[in-house]
Amino acid sequence: MTGGLGGFLDLIPESVLLRRTDGLILEWNAAAETLYGLPRARAIGRFAADLFGTGAGPEEALAALESTGAWEGALPRPGADGRDRIVHVRWRRGEGPEAAIVETGRDITAERAAAEALRKSEHRYRNLFQAMAASFWELDFFPVGEMLYRLRKSGAVADWPGHFAANPALVREMMRATRVIDVNEQTVATFGRAGGGKEELLRSVEPFWPEASSGVFAASVAAAVGGAPNFSAETRLRTIDGREFPALFTACFPADTMNKGTLLVGVIDLSELVAAQQALARMQDEMAHAARVSMLGELAASIAHEINQPLGAIAAHAAAGQRWLDRDPPELDEVRALMASVGADACRAADIVGRVRAMASGHAPEPGPVPVNAVIADAVTFLNHEIRRSGTRVETRLCRSDPVVLADRVQLQQVVVNLAMNALQAMADTPAPLLSLETGTRGGRVLLGIADTGPGVAAEVLPRLFDSFFTTRATGMGMGLAIARGIAGRFGGEIRAGNRPGGGALFEVDLPVCPGGILAHTKV
Amino acid sequence: MFANPLVAIVDDDASFRAALEGFLRSLGCRALGFASAEDFLQSGAPDRVGCVVSDIQMPGMSGIELARTLGARDRGAAVILVTALAGEQWPRAARESGAVCLLQKPFDPQELALCLSRAMGG
Repeated sequence: MTGGLGGFLDLIPESVLLRRTDGLILEWNAAAETLYGLPRARAIGRFAADLFGTGAGPEEALAALESTGAWEGALPRPGADGRDRIVHVRWRRGEGPEAAIVETGRDITAERAAAEALRKSEHRYRNLFQAMAASFWELDFFPVGEMLYRLRKSGAVADWPGHFAANPALVREMMRATRVIDVNEQTVATFGRAGGGKEELLRSVEPFWPEASSGVFAASVAAAVGGAPNFSAETRLRTIDGREFPALFTACFPADTMNKGTLLVGVIDLSELVAAQQALARMQDEMAHAARVSMLGELAASIAHEINQPLGAIAAHAAAGQRWLDRDPPELDEVRALMASVGADACRAADIVGRVRAMASGHAPEPGPVPVNAVIADAVTFLNHEIRRSGTRVETRLCRSDPVVLADRVQLQQVVVNLAMNALQAMADTPAPLLSLETGTRGGRVLLGIADTGPGVAAEVLPRLFDSFFTTRATGMGMGLAIARGIAGRFGGEIRAGNRPGGGALFEVDLPVCPGGILAHTKV
Repeated sequence: MFANPLVAIVDDDASFRAALEGFLRSLGCRALGFASAEDFLQSGAPDRVGCVVSDIQMPGMSGIELARTLGARDRGAAVILVTALAGEQWPRAARESGAVCLLQKPFDPQELALCLSRAMGG
């Protein structure tokens, strides 16, 4: 019975052992040797209960074997390496009172561990899904996948983003086809009705997307179709009762969930963040405005002088005109020529008033393309009198490509006038003062340089130069540079301060070039 | 007043200078304009003009210094000073420089006419 049957049993990949009802082992195949680490010769003739150290087996297993002649289940058994294994065993009892029991066994330890890991992972995922402060959505994307697949197959679409942009109705249809499978509590809090449950959110995603945000939805679909691992964008979304709010929308497209046709989407409500940013921006604008008004105060005498020039000229023209008219006969040609000059001088006065008014205005900044060469030229005009009065020579080197930045023109003007005024004041005791104004580009950046030939910035002052309320002057709040840096920062730029090798200070305003590049002839 | 007297206008503001030249012509004067005191002094005109109308605030030499320079000459032309800046110091500085008149911009051109007749007639 042993030899021939043993050779046959060795061909079976599962462990096989044959035992009597009392547990004495009669047969033990090669797979059992491998699984339990025990040679056949040492297993045969021993009792299974002793061998495995686990007793005869669980009560219900023995009972089932007794009554039905069969049982199967998982049992812990010591493995070949001495570590516990989980073995899935099948017991079958032969016919007759002395019949032996055949046990086949399969090591399922690794499977069990993998299943357990998966269960834990899913549990963790569910916990995260529910407990995170972000709103999470599990979406059924399968119908959209079908729609896109059919479109692609038809060969009509080569460029998804372009196709979506040209077909807004298709985008809305994709939204309607995307169903919400599950959402977490935060989603109910963010998107649901007060006191409402999540059931009413389990529908199509279409109502949650305002028309104006369709492009973001389309972009996320294009990202998914294009094989991107994830997508994220700031947009506006809508609650179930129609309130819109700013949100960070993120979607990830892992291959396994994509194959299932489900999609995990996260939404963070940015309302408070956006409100705080807006409040901060308003405060910065108000401070910038206050600084402009205070700068105008400092320049009041200069501005009066600048306006008095054309006014004085107009008065002289009028008096001259009167005299030409009083002659007999009146010199009408002379008067005619004077009228043109009066008009030009009036325009000049109006222009100065316009500049002052723009500087004094407290309007919310309007970022737009601003050619920096014009900003430098405007600043020189604005400070014309200060420059002349101080006997300063001005040297401008303007970039030929006329670079353009995205900024608020008045605020950028304020920065340059502020820096140039500082330069003029720094050169108060300098013989032959020279103010150098320069524009240029470096990489994707636009640089405005304001340099003087004054004493420069003391090394110990440099680190604190841009701090609020820091000033080396007897008068002034010390807010100018802090505000200037704040303005540059709002437009994605910065201001650097340093000294020139040949003496004097150099301030460099560094801003990103305006997307769209260079406007050759922007109306000033 | 002399027939067609020669008057120099010294002002770095081109449009104001042109306006004054026009006004002086309407008064029957011949006017010569200069953008700076230095230009005027180097031009040879100082020996020919009967009167100089000069702005005080200019890059380089100021109107006050110009009045002083001309006053130090044997036969210097009379100087009328003009300023756009309000300031208590100017009347005294103008007087001490030997200027005959100080006008504050914007001024009534008739006042300039009066100053001129005083400068050249008196």
